[in-house]
Amino acid sequence: MPWPIYLAFKQLFPSGRRVPFFTLISVLGVALGVALMLVTMSVMGGFGHQIKKMIIDTQGEVQVRARVLLDQPAAATVEKALAASPAVEAYAPYATGMVMLEYQSRPAFPAVQGFNYEQMKKVVPLGQYLTAGSLDNLDDDSVILSSVLASTLGVRMGDTVSLYSPLALERAKRNELLLPREVLVAGIFHVGHQQLDSSTVLCSLRLMQDLYGLEQRVHGYNVRLKPGADEHAAAAALNQNLPAGTRALTWFEANADFQAVLSFERNMIFFLLTFIIVVAAFSITSSLLVTVVRKTREIGLLGAMGGRARHVAACFCVQGLFIGLAGTALGLALGFALLHFRDDLVGFIARMTMGREAFVKFYQFSALPAHTAPKDVALIIIFSVLASTIAGLIPAWRAARLQPVEALRSE
Amino acid sequence: MSALQPSSFSVLRARGIAKTYPSGDRTLAVLTGVDFALAAGETVSVRGESGSGKSTLLNILAGLDRPDRGELFWGTEAAHDLSLGELTARRSRFLGMVFQSYYLIPELDAFANVLLGARMLGGVGAAERARATALLRRVGLAERGHHLPAQLSGGERQRVAVARALMNRPAVILADEPTGNLDERTGDEVIGLLLEVCAEEKAALVLVTHNPAHAKKTSRQLVLKNGQMGYG
Ligand SMILES: Nc1ncnc2c1ncn2[C@@H]1O[C@H](COP(=O)(O)OP(=O)(O)OP(=O)(O)O)[C@@H](O)[C@H]1O
Ligand SMILES: [Mg+2]
Repeated sequence: MPWPIYLAFKQLFPSGRRVPFFTLISVLGVALGVALMLVTMSVMGGFGHQIKKMIIDTQGEVQVRARVLLDQPAAATVEKALAASPAVEAYAPYATGMVMLEYQSRPAFPAVQGFNYEQMKKVVPLGQYLTAGSLDNLDDDSVILSSVLASTLGVRMGDTVSLYSPLALERAKRNELLLPREVLVAGIFHVGHQQLDSSTVLCSLRLMQDLYGLEQRVHGYNVRLKPGADEHAAAAALNQNLPAGTRALTWFEANADFQAVLSFERNMIFFLLTFIIVVAAFSITSSLLVTVVRKTREIGLLGAMGGRARHVAACFCVQGLFIGLAGTALGLALGFALLHFRDDLVGFIARMTMGREAFVKFYQFSALPAHTAPKDVALIIIFSVLASTIAGLIPAWRAARLQPVEALRSE
Repeated sequence: MSALQPSSFSVLRARGIAKTYPSGDRTLAVLTGVDFALAAGETVSVRGESGSGKSTLLNILAGLDRPDRGELFWGTEAAHDLSLGELTARRSRFLGMVFQSYYLIPELDAFANVLLGARMLGGVGAAERARATALLRRVGLAERGHHLPAQLSGGERQRVAVARALMNRPAVILADEPTGNLDERTGDEVIGLLLEVCAEEKAALVLVTHNPAHAKKTSRQLVLKNGQMGYG
């Protein structure tokens, strides 16, 4: 082992003595920063993962979208391509649009998803998100409402609501009679995703086609892939065989705007959290500077013993590196422990800060999601070790500049 | 002067060494032309009043500081032509230093302090460990190898420093008032030991001291006065 590394290690962890206070504080500073970054990024990753699951559970991993509409022959070509793809497990046609939904003179303007239930249930497990009713009761005269939509309108299961489609408005323009479609609410669903829950209506494909006058045409297909299939590869392969005017999109591409916001948020938070480690690095710099001043005469002695200035500098730089390594390791351990016990922790904090009743309400949130991306962990490690090592550079430079004669003479 | 008279081959030779320090707007001429030679294995004492420039001279001989003028030879090598960095690279093999305040590394135990010089030269193997153990035993600290400097008395610390200075088998030991912080009896013991082990290790010794009794034990007694070296 080169002597600067040996001496750096001994100065941080002297043999037969307790770890010096300064080492402990510096290591803890880095550790806290690393732990906080890991927990935050993991929880954010967990929410991202949940959103991905919700999207896939409602849309499938891949969507085939038509630029306009797919008529029967075009739909047949798409289905042929889907059936031929080895990665595809199941697919179901859909049609979408907006309607005006009215309940006791209160209007709302939700998005409508029409699908063939028999086919759809092989693609997405929609049934598991129903809080009332059953998908089996869904016929051409009934709908399923999203939870927030139902509660804002005060609609319960079994109520009847009126649907007005743009087609009905077209007719009104021609002074024809505007007849709403009266439908029964056959169920309520709750996905846990703000966007989907706030304003969505699910109905049969035939009802949607009727409302919009689509006849047999559809807007596209929701596709489920075989387990383990890569969605990007599958979408790319499908795009080779799909007819013109249709495109296969992965769940990520299909929600690209939303995903861009999410990843911007993540990057921003990562950026802000790095400053915790920068602050920890500053404390390493200041305590190593104090050490250099305190050890002036020993640094002079190292010179008198034949130690080169750059090796003396390396000794302090390596101390920064060691603090970074130890702090990062401790921080990762702490972070993973916090993540492991996150439910207990959230519950504990809830109990400490609010009463029992509030806690029960809070309990939903106690199932804090977490997903740790190896890429994030690697970034955190690289950043904190790098910052700690750079923190050692200024003290190292100070130590290297000391002339042994002057250092030895200093009292 | 006759101070420049090596009895045989000289391991350390200085000629016309001058050193001035700026002092306010004037300059302080500390060394004005020191001639000095040290034969292999020889022991020399240097005395002089406080402020006469003994430490300054020793630092120049050690290659830690540059004279304004003069020649310095380490063995046959012209040290005055080398940069401070080059001198530093050669120093660990050529000479060892002992200081008044010991300067042991507080985080290292006695054994590791002795071994540090070998570490600086490269690897530490069984041979180096054996030598460090033997040196510690020689200075009477066989049982204290795992004690930290803070757990040792002043005399014991200085003995560790002597062992450390000898670790790399240097040709020369430069000792700057090694007993300055010790009581009389301990000081006498340390000087006796220093002279003995230097003789055993065949290292030449330059001993800077204020103590005439210690100076008498060396084979040559020199005095630094008015910036020049002469016999006492
Ligand atoms: N870096 C410096 N700058 C200015 N003056 C210096 C410097 N180093 C030494 N001096 C001066 O040079 C003179 C000689 O100093 P030096 O330490 O060599 O004396 P010394 O003989 O070792 O004294 P002592 O016996 O007290 O140790 C002193 O007057 C000191 O003040
Ligand atoms: Mg002195």
